[in-house]
Amino acid sequence: MSDAVEDGSVPPLGTIYCYLTEGCNLACRHCWLAPKFDADGSGHAVLPVDVFEGVVREAKPLGLSSVKFTGGEPLLHPRFGDLVEIASKAGVSVQVETNGLLCTPETARLIAGAPRPFVSVSIDGADAATHEWLRGIAGSFDKACRAVRNLSEAGLAPQVVMTLVRENMGQIEAVVRMAERLGAGSVRFNMVEPTARGADLGRANALPGVEELVAAGRIVDSDLAARTRMSLHFDIPQAFRPLGRIARSDESCGILTILGLLSTGHYALCGIGMQVKELVFGMAGKDNLSGIWRGSRVLGEIRAGLPQRLQGVCGRCLMNSRCLGACLAQNYYRLGSMWGPYWFCEQAEEQGLFPSTRVGGTV
Amino acid sequence: MKLDDAPVPNPVVVLREESDDWAILFNPDTSAAVGTNPVGVEIWKQADGTRSLRDIAATVARRFSNVPEGASGEVLSFADELARDGFFGVAEGAEG
Repeated sequence: MSDAVEDGSVPPLGTIYCYLTEGCNLACRHCWLAPKFDADGSGHAVLPVDVFEGVVREAKPLGLSSVKFTGGEPLLHPRFGDLVEIASKAGVSVQVETNGLLCTPETARLIAGAPRPFVSVSIDGADAATHEWLRGIAGSFDKACRAVRNLSEAGLAPQVVMTLVRENMGQIEAVVRMAERLGAGSVRFNMVEPTARGADLGRANALPGVEELVAAGRIVDSDLAARTRMSLHFDIPQAFRPLGRIARSDESCGILTILGLLSTGHYALCGIGMQVKELVFGMAGKDNLSGIWRGSRVLGEIRAGLPQRLQGVCGRCLMNSRCLGACLAQNYYRLGSMWGPYWFCEQAEEQGLFPSTRVGGTV
Repeated sequence: MKLDDAPVPNPVVVLREESDDWAILFNPDTSAAVGTNPVGVEIWKQADGTRSLRDIAATVARRFSNVPEGASGEVLSFADELARDGFFGVAEGAEG
């Protein structure tokens, strides 16, 4: 039995988000991590395989049940197959977030052979022009679509992830229909976080406003979801989602049970560690993972502080024990404090759009 | 609670109905909140200190389609949860 299980104040370390590469073979206008462009994966740091193997070994007694391979672009990792094999041998679930450019039928079958595999592929429009406007590389749309087909043919139910910008807001249903045709199992709609390149996109007025996002979420949750065989997930804070949809899903923030592992081998709250050094906790292979998971001051503050330390509308929100502040990393990036309020909810309140039924106090 | 009990809503609790017929029961004194589906909303509205849970279960069975056998047990369970969290009390002298 692990120390973490014995100590009720320390939750299990359920998932490690592994940022496998520092580079990416796309140049997305909105990326919150702003990786360096790297056409073939040879130019920038990748997570050493032996470091990953050691981390999995240390994390298993702490409760590790899954790893998420993300990036940069995880399939740029020259030894991606070895990483999948290590995870598989450890019996931990493998999740992959990819742009799909390198997801061949062989790679799809490799992932499909891992324990409880799950793959998401980013496709931001129903046509090449829209997708590639955002992703920055010609030809990336066809390859992403091919990736979804390859994954589906390998027996997976891949998720299409559509990031919402002004340019593609009119294509939500078209992307759902395209995902159906490609064999996807679900579609997730993400809003752009105002971090790194995402902040630049916001300043360029290329992002939908809170009101547009709330309206789009309502259409997806209340109408479109009933007209597709796939599950749809509109990723806005839970205060804005219908209770019936929340009750039927198992979506709540995983912040209490995740840890980031950067391509440099550093542990961090998540990928935000690439932007905010205060949220880096140590180095894999050098620092003991159990010590970090149990003893990190930041992680301890988060465990003790959620949800009661949340500020502003997030502190008063009736959903805050599920939402857990939406994104503490984003809060820290924007405000220098994890406790928010989260930018979306703050703007919604300022604009009179925050649902009055979801706020504590008399309405 | 028992099926013959007549639940009484805590008078400070507010029923906040939403557009999809679900609702939040909110206690402003404690900030406790419970989300509930349309059946739960009906149970809350029926509970006035005079109707027993048995009567309320019968009303639910009439007003909603596809109500399964044994739904009275689920009504009882829901009322127990609300009572435990201070949303319901039981009317004096109404216990069976």
